[in-house]
Amino acid sequence: MATISIENVRKNFGAVEVIKGVSFEVADGQFAVLVGPSGCGKSTLLRMIAGLESVTQGDIKLDGKRINDVPPDQRGIAMVFQSYALYPHMTVAENIGFSLDLKKVPKATIRKEVAQVAELLQLSELLDRRPAALSGGQRQRVAIGRAIIKRPRVILFDEPLSNLDASLRVQMRAELQRLHQELRPTIVYVTHDQVEAMTMADTIVVLNQGNVAQWAHPIELYRRPRSTFVATFIGSPRMNLVKGIIAGKESMPSFTAADGWTVPLAGRDLAAMHSQSGWLGIRPECIRLVDANTDADLSGEVVIVERLGAETYVNVAKGRDTLLVRVQGDIAVRPGDTVQLAFDRAGFHLFNQAEVNFDHSSNDLE
Amino acid sequence: MIGVRRFTQAEVSAYGFLSATLVFCLLPFLWVALASIDPNASQFLSFPKGITADHFIKIFTANNGGRWFFNSLITVGAATAVVVVVGGMGGYALSRTNAWWKRPFLYAIILVRILPPTALIVPLYKVMLIANGLMGALVRSVVPPDSTRSAMQIVGFVDGYLGLILVLSAMQLPLALWIIKTYFDLTPKDYEEAALMDGANSFQRIRRILVPLALPGLGAAGLLTFIGAWGDFLMPLTFISSAELQLLPIGLFRAFQRANTIDYGYLSALAVLYMLPAVVAFGFARRFLIQSFTGGIKG
Repeated sequence: MATISIENVRKNFGAVEVIKGVSFEVADGQFAVLVGPSGCGKSTLLRMIAGLESVTQGDIKLDGKRINDVPPDQRGIAMVFQSYALYPHMTVAENIGFSLDLKKVPKATIRKEVAQVAELLQLSELLDRRPAALSGGQRQRVAIGRAIIKRPRVILFDEPLSNLDASLRVQMRAELQRLHQELRPTIVYVTHDQVEAMTMADTIVVLNQGNVAQWAHPIELYRRPRSTFVATFIGSPRMNLVKGIIAGKESMPSFTAADGWTVPLAGRDLAAMHSQSGWLGIRPECIRLVDANTDADLSGEVVIVERLGAETYVNVAKGRDTLLVRVQGDIAVRPGDTVQLAFDRAGFHLFNQAEVNFDHSSNDLE
Repeated sequence: MIGVRRFTQAEVSAYGFLSATLVFCLLPFLWVALASIDPNASQFLSFPKGITADHFIKIFTANNGGRWFFNSLITVGAATAVVVVVGGMGGYALSRTNAWWKRPFLYAIILVRILPPTALIVPLYKVMLIANGLMGALVRSVVPPDSTRSAMQIVGFVDGYLGLILVLSAMQLPLALWIIKTYFDLTPKDYEEAALMDGANSFQRIRRILVPLALPGLGAAGLLTFIGAWGDFLMPLTFISSAELQLLPIGLFRAFQRANTIDYGYLSALAVLYMLPAVVAFGFARRFLIQSFTGGIKG
């Protein structure tokens, strides 16, 4: 097993810089997820670790040894492609055993190892089929089998679940976690789906436009996002962001939204930021609907109600701002109703004008 | 009257017209097939009163038909092999490169197909003649004088196998490059990268991954090359003069030209013999043609 270190890595395609000095580390046996919107450079970074793309600048190290110039097959790294890339002219068994066959491993040994891997992935019945005769989930498992038979130190996954339907995706997510616990390889997993990232990762690297936006444990990302980008990217439904200004007395600061309404920010030392403009972030689950006669922070008008059964998303308009409120169960509100909102103050995130968190701008894992 | 549908008048006349056209188109083939086995073949279509193989026997005994057939097979077969190998490598390169000259190059080579070959024949002959002179000098310096002539029949550029093979290849290569390039365009790079990660070297990637994946494209290009080169008349006519290097289409043409008597049975038998390999090749490679023109790799 192995530790991967990415040190100040840059990548240019011609004049375009797609990776702009990225650093992070994946500890031995960890499940790391690279997450970000399309075009953030996450797949390019993965391909650089695999050795399919050259490194323009910086170092990629495996157990402390620089591997920038080591050919892909000698890095001890396996990769599962987004398209699976199963060889269509070979059977499942031949696909899984191909790397061993290339190494001139005796046929009997290959057969034994393929059988073991197939057993682990519940593919034993399908060994003689061609990829074209498999379902999406089965192809996915063959692709994983082709990776793990090499006993790699690191397995790279490039958006492996994006071609599957929703229910299969949930099932494969659990299966991948089971495999990780059984085999304990170091995993680097690329996805644009923050739910996949949150559910599977030991550590998450959020990438944005070729930079690391934040590198932290999943819950840490959720609780202490370093910027508005991370705050809105992680968590579903996304965090509410309201533009405004830090106002009030220095001893009793408050936040005044651009639209005029104010909430007190009691118990916080915000002297340094006083009268600066910025953003107030609050997650939908940190806002409650309350009765008119209790202490409400705000009243607003219901615009849209989305009922999911177990919970309800209520879009409440206050002037030009819209706040999404997440309520447990099914509640009786209708568009046009006026509702009272109360904020959970511990759930406030304040971001300055540069959209960086006021409270904790330090790096989490670095 | 279950299952029987009445045809409308429009349908009847449409099918009638199409059937008549079909019969008209098929008649020459029927005549050739019948005349080749008819002891009293004439230029008129008639059902043979008996069956004979004499015409075919005559091709191989009285004339040098076997040799013509062999010459055709060698030159066209070799040209097909050259086109599949060069077209395979070139088509792959053209598919994967992003070089600025890619488009200009692709359109430039298709010009070879657009220009009438007859218009190219004079400059081409001139070039081949010069190359032949150089090759002649080379052959004379390494081969004893008494076998120079037979060596030149193999490696000569004019009146030699090599020259004809190269000319036939050059005529067919552009189309093959286009077909194979388009086929590789539909073949994702992921397969090669997966093989690279699996530890395959470049030779293994070609032999174990790329060739099997590209087989329909290579097969289709090879088939069209074979059929195209097999049917070529102008190049063998221009570049081959020795009787022993004669190709089948030229043999057929010369038999037809013989002034006073036309032996229709013999001509028809020769025509059947000439058609056969193209039909057989098509039968073998038809599925490649269908696969490569109806969609790329499945799975």
